[in-house]
Amino acid sequence: MKKILILILWFLIGVSIIIAYLTLGKPDTNIITQVRIPRLLLTLFTGTALAGIGSIYQLMLANPLAEPYILGISSGSAFGSILLGISGLIILMPVGGFIGAGFTMLLVWKLAHQKGRFDKSRLLIAGVIAGMFFSAGISLIMYLHQQDTALILGTLMGNLGHIFTKGEWTSFLILMGLSLIILIYLFFQSTAIDILSCGDLYAASLGINVLSLRRKIFILTSIVIGISVSYAGIIGFVGLIIPHIVRFFIPSGQKKIYLLSLWSGGIFLLACDLLAKHILSMELPVGIITAFIGCPFFMWLLLKKQG
Amino acid sequence: MKKSGILTVIIIILFAFSCKQTGNNQKKGIVVLSPEVAEIICALNAEKEITGITAECNYPPSLQQKKIVGSFSSIDKEAIIALNPELIFCSSLEQENIAYDLKNLGFQVEVIYPKGINEMLSDIERIGTLIRKKEEAVKLVNDLKEEIEKIKANAQGKLRPKVYLEIYRNPLMSVSDSSFIGELIELAGGDNIFSTLERDYARINPEAVIAAKPDIMICYSQDTLKNIINRKGWQNIPAIQKRRIYFEKDINPDLLQRATPRCIEGMKELAKIFAEWREEK
Repeated sequence: MKKILILILWFLIGVSIIIAYLTLGKPDTNIITQVRIPRLLLTLFTGTALAGIGSIYQLMLANPLAEPYILGISSGSAFGSILLGISGLIILMPVGGFIGAGFTMLLVWKLAHQKGRFDKSRLLIAGVIAGMFFSAGISLIMYLHQQDTALILGTLMGNLGHIFTKGEWTSFLILMGLSLIILIYLFFQSTAIDILSCGDLYAASLGINVLSLRRKIFILTSIVIGISVSYAGIIGFVGLIIPHIVRFFIPSGQKKIYLLSLWSGGIFLLACDLLAKHILSMELPVGIITAFIGCPFFMWLLLKKQG
Repeated sequence: MKKSGILTVIIIILFAFSCKQTGNNQKKGIVVLSPEVAEIICALNAEKEITGITAECNYPPSLQQKKIVGSFSSIDKEAIIALNPELIFCSSLEQENIAYDLKNLGFQVEVIYPKGINEMLSDIERIGTLIRKKEEAVKLVNDLKEEIEKIKANAQGKLRPKVYLEIYRNPLMSVSDSSFIGELIELAGGDNIFSTLERDYARINPEAVIAAKPDIMICYSQDTLKNIINRKGWQNIPAIQKRRIYFEKDINPDLLQRATPRCIEGMKELAKIFAEWREEK
């Protein structure tokens, strides 16, 4: 009973944050429809995608530290979009991000197989190594192109204030639609993922094609992450912390965990962006806020659980 | 065994004598690592004293014949030691470490990083004293002050256009009034729409630009006119409706971003743009 009340309360808080996000400071309708709604959609999309995928990875890789960025895809994506950004093709940055994500995904997936057999720990190691490699690449670009430091930091610390031109907006809507379809599809795979977490043999004995399921999930999530990073940059902690917090309330049942992670991730990022915009007259990078709020809250939860 | 020992001693002695003695040589000339100071020194007619520069010191163009000792943020210390300068001018920011190192090597290092017009004027006098061009410096400063007063007087009491300066597109960044360029805009008779940011150069919220309705936009973010016109929600901004958007090719950013005597030219160009806006009003 208490849990249901908390959930209802959380839902209402979410709705009020959305309303505050759209109407704070009495903007005129042009600003609401042309600037705030696009930003709201980008923020909600990024938050939901990161938290939802985080919850899947933690279960599937049986690793509490797994998050959307651990497979190196975000660094690859950031590297691709930064590379195009410093070449002056700022408009094409999402394309670069997409190519970077795709390339890293193929590389990591290839490395995760030994003699044709998939290995969970190989996947994690390959992901971490690929991530380090592309981070070094980004550091090199930053060192060589000092005048573009703001652009690179914007990608590394998250930037939800992406300015869309009309053409860009259409392509973003299409890509977001695609991502939503993928996220919905992943919802229907929840039971299979739950079973998979009990071991490959057990899952196979229940008639699940383990190899193909894993490949599908990996490829689909990479596409979504690539899209999110190329528009919003790398925003840490949402994908790691939100699914854990959700599990404090709902210990098992991937279906419910996934849904609540989606909602909580979106609302959490929205609240962080609201703060990032309004604490000072200049805008703060949202990645800093997510870490500053998310980490202490998580520590508090851990301590409470201990007591 | 004995033979090789003797040979070693001979080699060491020969090696020691083959080194050139540089320690006692007289230090000569000036090495300038900051493009701003290079411009000021040349304005004081002391270009011939400069022996080394960084790649960014591109004005006046004749400087290119000097020895280049690296770029603004990555400096070749050995090249500077080889020049053995009497005086080294550094900027602040990334050059603070190198200034410290060069001081430890026994060079006279002066850090000059003017943040506003008044600081620039006093720094010109300081540079003049250091390079023994005090008289020229005082004269230059007086001339500059006179020019600034003229520009100020010209703008007095007139309508002030709201100005939006974009230095970065992704993330969107602008300048505050405490930045050098922000001060120039105000002196030339414009109102910077982001006058009170907490940092000189800072991220801004795009909707604040739309809400502020700037009359003039100066775009140093390498974006194109076509993209700016097509930005979502930006169509109601007067600067965009009337196409009063100025790019690097319209006003050279060096005239506005560098604290040098050339900023007078920059202010005059700004004043011209503002005057055109007033005429249309």
